[in-house]
Amino acid sequence: MYSWPVNAGPLDPRGYSPNQMYAQAMVYEPLVRYTHAGTVEPWLATRWYVSEDGKTYTFTLRDGVRFSDGTPFDSTAAKANLDAVLANRQRHRWMELVSTLEHVEAPDRLTLRLVLKHPYYPTLMELAQVRPLRFGAVDTKPGQPVGTGPWMRAESRLGEFDRFVRNPLYWGPKPAFDEVMVKVIPDPNSRALALQAGEVELIQGAAGEITAGTFVRLRDQGYATALSAPLATRTLAMNTGRGATRDLAVRQAINEAVNKQAIIDKILYGLEPRADTLFARNMPYADIGLKPYPYDPAQAKQALESAGWALAPGAPVRSKGGEPLSIELVFLGTSALQKSLAEVLQGELAKVGIHIELRAVEEGALVRRQRDGDFGMIFADTWGAPYDPHSFVSSMRYAGHADYMAQRGLAIKNELDQRIGKVLASTDEKQRAEQYRFILTTLHEQAVYLPISHLTAISVRRSSVEHVEFGSTLFDVPFEAMTPKQEH
Amino acid sequence: MLRYILLRLVLLLPVMFGVSLLVFVLLHLGSTDPALDYLRLSHIPPTDAAIAEVRHALGLDRPLYEQYLTWLWKALHLDFGISYLTGRPVLDDLLYYLPATLQLGGLALACTLLLSIPLGLMAARWQGRWPDHAVRAVTFLGVSMPNFWLAFLLIALFSLWLGWLPPLGRGTAGQLVMPVLAIALMSMSINARLLRASLLEASGQRHVTYARARGLPERQVWRDHVLRNAWLPFVTATGMHVGELIGGALVIETIFAWPGVGRFAVSAVLNRDFPVMQCFTLLLTGLLMVCNLLVDVCYAWLDPRSRLEGASA
Repeated sequence: MYSWPVNAGPLDPRGYSPNQMYAQAMVYEPLVRYTHAGTVEPWLATRWYVSEDGKTYTFTLRDGVRFSDGTPFDSTAAKANLDAVLANRQRHRWMELVSTLEHVEAPDRLTLRLVLKHPYYPTLMELAQVRPLRFGAVDTKPGQPVGTGPWMRAESRLGEFDRFVRNPLYWGPKPAFDEVMVKVIPDPNSRALALQAGEVELIQGAAGEITAGTFVRLRDQGYATALSAPLATRTLAMNTGRGATRDLAVRQAINEAVNKQAIIDKILYGLEPRADTLFARNMPYADIGLKPYPYDPAQAKQALESAGWALAPGAPVRSKGGEPLSIELVFLGTSALQKSLAEVLQGELAKVGIHIELRAVEEGALVRRQRDGDFGMIFADTWGAPYDPHSFVSSMRYAGHADYMAQRGLAIKNELDQRIGKVLASTDEKQRAEQYRFILTTLHEQAVYLPISHLTAISVRRSSVEHVEFGSTLFDVPFEAMTPKQEH
Repeated sequence: MLRYILLRLVLLLPVMFGVSLLVFVLLHLGSTDPALDYLRLSHIPPTDAAIAEVRHALGLDRPLYEQYLTWLWKALHLDFGISYLTGRPVLDDLLYYLPATLQLGGLALACTLLLSIPLGLMAARWQGRWPDHAVRAVTFLGVSMPNFWLAFLLIALFSLWLGWLPPLGRGTAGQLVMPVLAIALMSMSINARLLRASLLEASGQRHVTYARARGLPERQVWRDHVLRNAWLPFVTATGMHVGELIGGALVIETIFAWPGVGRFAVSAVLNRDFPVMQCFTLLLTGLLMVCNLLVDVCYAWLDPRSRLEGASA
């Protein structure tokens, strides 16, 4: 028994909200699957071959796979699904692969060929995502999901629950649980109480299912808990194009002046690992041995001093040529977490003579400020697996993204953007790693970001659930890999 | 009387129209953008292109007056649009969730009346003695305690410690107890205190002393001279509590995972589901106005003086 804030939705394989991704991932499967290592492994496709020019992907489909209604999963069915995405290109074009995909061929029963307009290396990564490139049986009515996955939805009662049972025709290993009951519980506190009262047996996810404080309380009460590997990064972007943060010395000093561990311990209940770089080292191409900025306020003060930001006797804030060292930090006013983080940052940076002006704004205003670059510092979390690093880096090229606006003051910005374009089209693994090394190193050395911590998924369970596993992305909960407590 | 009721019902229409316009303007003048919520819920990065695409799909890129007129025209045909959040017709969703809320609200109202009347009578009858003190203590607590806090305390007590009641969901009688109590306690307390106060006030009036002096039995004095006058504020307050009970349901339904309109409306507000908020406000307006009408009719029935005023108006 599990819970989710809303019903699973009609479960259209290509549908967005109100379709819930955890449920789509239970019912529909991808050609290749995203792994914890940030690579892909064979799934509905057993083998694939990428042409020399990187424009043609040829997949061999797994033989003997059937949809839960008994119809076979073959290249015709697969092509029909992908064609349906292409028929609605406008809607799905946020995914770069969809705009890059020219057409799909099905030369024989078990061969599927994707022809791209130009080479795009994250093709396999994007095929692995929960939507829209997964496969449903072709002739099904809306609201009656038929996929190849380990689960099928048996019952859905609006506002109350969704019940999933094992797919008897599943090609892979049989899940250990007979069914997954997902109750609709919108309130995080109620969810925790429901776990304590035995109404749900598992709380798991990375979307604030319960607060960090509640997680710690349940753990202290003896419930079995677990934290996943880093899935995304909580970070702030600093504006290199405006105000005091134009100065590299200021940005580096900020990175050295903030005691991240203290922030994590005080505000995040010590649950999230400290982040020293934009991407965690378990993300693809990110394990490049970047040297973290140490926590060293004395060094930060000295660096500011030598960069000309002097502290007049008795003044709390440094200044340079009459310009006070004051930075506007923009955050979402309705987010209690961002507010606490912002306030602590204000306190930490005041100690080295940097004044942080807190600016709480509403969500629409926040997006506008991101788009217009109207900020000194702003929360700009990474998108997380499976979008990191390629989709996130890709977005840095477009005006209108906080990251673009933050980076536009860098002398090297043009070259960065060109390299991002190259890395996405690169067909050579070694070259790609080199490009990423350059991009990530530059961003790190230029101190464009102030990474705080790595976001993780949480899991709390009752003793009736023996073993849990985390999904490899922010969005999936692999119930099929979980096991109930053995009866002795 | 019938004419008066009909007139009031007809007056509902311009009020509803005014409310719909006001809500529409307030929703759309804010800097909030439902397209952002849609993208967030869909886990699609909010690029300019994506925002524009969604705004177009939701019809938000058209001029405001055109959006309102389209909405109004459809609403007159009882089509309140499609929820941004669930993708289903708003009216279908609201009507689907309404019975659960009516059940909760109705029981809470019944509970309010059934408990507040004897408590108020008891406190007034034995003023200054222990039943009075007990009632005042309980109702003081009830008036002061926020309903969501009470809800969590109830769950902690009855579900976690004692294990008597299920903490959430709908279906069995046991699942009704805590939400009803959490919603009703405040109205019940206000009503009990109000009844006590107005009973005491009425019993101090000269005509009551006179009735006693005439040698009427104490029972009759209370029934005909005290209660009759003390009812009026109580009836007004009860009418107002209907709104409060629905308002309580908003929070309480979310806590108890109760599949009602309240919880549905809360998630609509959190996610800027404009069509649902529009329709829900109208529904609530209509409900409150009908309740006010009922109160006024009760008034006229209880108090001949107001009947005369009503007739001349």
